[in-house]
Amino acid sequence: MNDDTLLLYYYNDGLSTRERRQVDAAINTDPDIAAQYEALCQQLNAMDDPEPHAVPSHMVQRWHDSIDRAAQQDLVSQRQPSRSFNLFSFAWGAAFAATLAIGISIGVYFSAAPLTAPTVIAENLAPPAAFTRGVSMYLRDTHQELATLPVATAAERTTLVLQIIEQNRLFERAAEQNNSQSLARVLRAFEPILLRLAADDIAPEDAEALRAQLAFELNVMLTKIARDSSNNSQST
Amino acid sequence: MNTFTKTFLTTLALLAMSSGYAQGEVSEVDDPAEALKIAALEALITAPSDRALPLVTKVLNSNNSNDVKSRALFILSQIDLPEAQQQLLEVARSGDAELSQEAVRMIGISGDPDALAGLSDMYSAGDEDLRDAVLEAYLIAGETQLVADIAANAKDADEFEAAVEMLAVMGAQEELRALRSNGAFPEVMIEAFAISGDYESLRELALDGSDVERQAHAIEALGIVGGDEVDQTLMEIYRNSDSEDIRESALEGMLISGYDAGVLELYRASDNIDEKRELLEMLAIMDSDLVFDVIDEAFAGDR
Repeated sequence: MNDDTLLLYYYNDGLSTRERRQVDAAINTDPDIAAQYEALCQQLNAMDDPEPHAVPSHMVQRWHDSIDRAAQQDLVSQRQPSRSFNLFSFAWGAAFAATLAIGISIGVYFSAAPLTAPTVIAENLAPPAAFTRGVSMYLRDTHQELATLPVATAAERTTLVLQIIEQNRLFERAAEQNNSQSLARVLRAFEPILLRLAADDIAPEDAEALRAQLAFELNVMLTKIARDSSNNSQST
Repeated sequence: MNTFTKTFLTTLALLAMSSGYAQGEVSEVDDPAEALKIAALEALITAPSDRALPLVTKVLNSNNSNDVKSRALFILSQIDLPEAQQQLLEVARSGDAELSQEAVRMIGISGDPDALAGLSDMYSAGDEDLRDAVLEAYLIAGETQLVADIAANAKDADEFEAAVEMLAVMGAQEELRALRSNGAFPEVMIEAFAISGDYESLRELALDGSDVERQAHAIEALGIVGGDEVDQTLMEIYRNSDSEDIRESALEGMLISGYDAGVLELYRASDNIDEKRELLEMLAIMDSDLVFDVIDEAFAGDR
């Protein structure tokens, strides 16, 4: 069982009654999952700061590194010719057909788990802090998983990306239930990209380009969530 | 001034200068200049909208690579200003097919109703790639009705099929039923009902014997939906049908839904050796452990 599911279980947020019962059963019957959940509880309980106030330090460090690296380069002499792969032009039609097939499979899988009735939250309310923390952790974890994704090994890559898609759908549903329609749209937008990344016939350079695009969008959303949380905490 | 603020201001300044050192087309992500611009765009999300918008616009209007511009479009999708939506529409309508498709995706992400409505004209006039991008944008925005409109006004079977498949993935049962009531009924609708989990529509078709081929297809599609109701319906169809084809479809449905208990029940209820053999083969195909119960029963008389 993945950490994201346990995280949603911990915060009692985003899982249907049926899904909660499944996690309950897994924790009570599987010592490994019980230990995994216990470790997660300890990690979450150890968090002193209930709100993400600032941009994560690793991101700030990355910006510094990028700026430093760029400053040391001779910009003109380092320019490279255009690469052969163009992110937007690679056989979208074929990819769509292939990814739709995967998407349909996943859609069928998820259709077996009915959604709980959405919690009615007034439009002007900010999403709960627990949800914000959960989704931040998900975005951060996904970014790390993508960074270590075995681009050259199709089968392994497909398995891992399908797991990410599964988690992504959980958080998309949670976003809808937590008054975060804009976040839900972004998470939905990740899915077609992830599906293309999961395709077993994608060239490594194409996979690399998709991974870079996702990494950027994940980081932007992580920063935006941190910014919004910080603004909310300052205004209250 | 803290470290982050300094970093942020530095990146803003670098973005403002970007057109100055982006005279040539650069595409390598690991190009330092390119990486810097992307990092600067990433930082721009922390800026107030009214400050971020002109910088993003400048990046889009400068001689940057499509990678950089696509990142800028994502930032634009996160700026909650009408001018940002207008800018996205302008890029979507631009002559650059790649950026146009990416801008369409961003319009889906931004979810602005006016901008989304503006995609309809582009869909009608666009090529297949652009039409797919518009459908994807509607998927992202959750705009089932706009997809249903496309299906209802489709000019050919391929266009209709693409829209119906998208509705299925979106779980838009109501819109799919409306399309059915409009008289359009190619085979893709049955698959769409199955993918969207519409048990009621499929059951109706599965019990309608006016078109045996369609009925058989609907029965098998019920298996994709699965669940107790489906299992009972498949059993009902198998038991009540005189048609060999329909009974076979019911078994196929059970195979797809994994209802091995139903197959075992039918096996035990049957007195026909040929039928028993067929049901036993089905249990074996299903890789069901129940097949061992049947084997035990078959050899029971030998003890």
